[in-house]
Amino acid sequence: MENIDKKQVREKRGKAQRRDWYQLDLSAIVYPTLQRRDFSSVYRLSVLLKEEVQPDVLQKALDMTLPRFPTYKAAIRKGLFWRYLEPNDRPGPFVQEDVKNPCQPMYFKANNRYLVRVYYFRNRIALEAHHSLGDGTGGMCVLMTLTATYLRLLGHGEIKNGGFVLDISETPDEEELEDAYMRYANAKVCPPRLEEKAYRVRGTAEPFYTLNIIDGIMSVSEVTAAAKRYGATITEYLNAVLLYALMVKQEEERLSRQRPVKIAMPVNLRRFFPSITLRNFITMIYPGIDPRLGEYTFEEIVQQVHNYMRYYINEKLLRGDITTNAATQRNPFIRVVPLFIKDFVVRLFYTKVQDRNSSAGLTNMGALKVPDGMASYIERFDIYMGQPFSRRTNCAIISFGDILTINFASSIIEADVERHFFRKLVKDGIHVKIESNRD
Amino acid sequence: MSYCVNCGVELDTSARECPLCNTPVWNPRELEKQAVQGRPGMQAGSPFPGEKSQVEAANKKDFGLLMSMVVLATAATCGILNLLVFRGTLWSLSVIGACAVLWVMLIPVMIYTKQSVYVSLLYDGAATVLYLYILTFQVGSREWFFGLGLPITALVTVIAEAAAVCICKLPRSFLTVSLYLFTAAGLLCLGLEMLIDWYLQGEIALSWSAVVLTVCAILDIALITMLSRRRLRNEVRRRLHF
Repeated sequence: MENIDKKQVREKRGKAQRRDWYQLDLSAIVYPTLQRRDFSSVYRLSVLLKEEVQPDVLQKALDMTLPRFPTYKAAIRKGLFWRYLEPNDRPGPFVQEDVKNPCQPMYFKANNRYLVRVYYFRNRIALEAHHSLGDGTGGMCVLMTLTATYLRLLGHGEIKNGGFVLDISETPDEEELEDAYMRYANAKVCPPRLEEKAYRVRGTAEPFYTLNIIDGIMSVSEVTAAAKRYGATITEYLNAVLLYALMVKQEEERLSRQRPVKIAMPVNLRRFFPSITLRNFITMIYPGIDPRLGEYTFEEIVQQVHNYMRYYINEKLLRGDITTNAATQRNPFIRVVPLFIKDFVVRLFYTKVQDRNSSAGLTNMGALKVPDGMASYIERFDIYMGQPFSRRTNCAIISFGDILTINFASSIIEADVERHFFRKLVKDGIHVKIESNRD
Repeated sequence: MSYCVNCGVELDTSARECPLCNTPVWNPRELEKQAVQGRPGMQAGSPFPGEKSQVEAANKKDFGLLMSMVVLATAATCGILNLLVFRGTLWSLSVIGACAVLWVMLIPVMIYTKQSVYVSLLYDGAATVLYLYILTFQVGSREWFFGLGLPITALVTVIAEAAAVCICKLPRSFLTVSLYLFTAAGLLCLGLEMLIDWYLQGEIALSWSAVVLTVCAILDIALITMLSRRRLRNEVRRRLHF
């Protein structure tokens, strides 16, 4: 099967022609339906440089970079049955000074219909993108290519292309724009997904226009050492710490009826299914514990997460999962349903089922590599999962060099989960520096 | 450099309190500096900007709920009026019947149900037949019902079912669906005039339906041309893909 996949990749690879429109990928279909006055599926990636950002040069770099990413220089439009992306040749997007409350809703008809925003603040460049355009990997390609172009314009010509930095003079590969889900959604069965309702953090909602951010900055080597003591990887260890924090929070609330504590964690499918797509190619897994079964020690939580990851994150089960997801979109009866009915049903399903399957979100972009000559200009990276759909907290992890950043974004006033999380890390001997936009 | 005495985490130099537990930062060696930072708007060293952004407001109206309430209110108020004020005849039956028909027709559009389109169309046809039959009690004659009302409702239902079958079972795109619908419209008008002529005059003499049929035929030819021309077809599909 792997040989066939590789052959398909080689055959498929070719230069993309300019297209009049792009179908939304399988994941991207869902995000616009969740759009509310006070919520958009917007994520944020930022890079902290070692020198102050020059806005005019950044704007020039953005103008040079974005045409390389046709699905990011796009507007979303409504058809009768589905939404689609259309190339956007309007002026913009324009770089703007950063704000205290990032990841604000992104209305489709505002901002000259662009679904990306680029901010600068002191030595930080931040990219916010609507999830319908692509996932964190695609967004990181845009941010890194933008940063490399910006640095080259400042005279740092030694920066090479490679990894997340794409050649802006090159025509995009057809495969960069593909809906990779459909290529790999070919399992012969659609395994059912039965997830139980999970514990939901009780907190006081912040008013609109607020996103509480708490960044924890620490050393990769310290976290690795702590994870090794428990016999786990960094992702497993940090997952376990977040589960532990949520478990303690649930215990503190003294609820009459406890629920399982689960984390929604996106898995980058490119690791298992060869694709260079810049659009969404992720699926969700839900590692968790059930406190109703008994009291868990931290070691047991780590073990549980470790085993869960070993069992679920493999090519076979992930293929089954994306086949199940794709089956809905392939169903001819669903396809002919007008868009407004699809929106209603999807929103209802997400609100009543999907959103209740997890207590928090956690994503790990892993250790970021930059091309030769670029590392010396970069301090660190940050990543935010954006506004949570319901009242809860989302956690995103990224590392660069020896700096590991854990970014919490929440729409509730209380920071109990974050407090338990970071205190546990401190107890495990990790030095944590905290930065926050909270007043 | 300050640490939270509760959490043990290092805090940013601009922090006035721990973001995790709200414990105030009180560094005895930097009291003066902290007093300056404590003033409003003085977060010079903060790693985050001080300005908040705003997005454009968006309005959303729930037409579905509004329509349902209007239909229900109309039926209920007419029923009450008939019972309490205008008691002469059972006139409210026709209004309530119309509201019921409208409601049945709106169900698959406004409220998602898993019932198939064929069954929905049958229900719609049945609801219409029932409503027309109710009207015969008020008119006092059933001849028009059996001669005109019932056959026309049956014709509309059959054509709608046939169109649904074509849309669901045959190759489907926006253009082909339009082709089926215009064909159905032409045939419907033809059938209507035939039934009306037969009921009123006892013989069939086509007039206006021939004009409609001609227009539908022209549109059908235009659609078939679009289907056979790739560029035209792509332009339309881009806008209306499914």
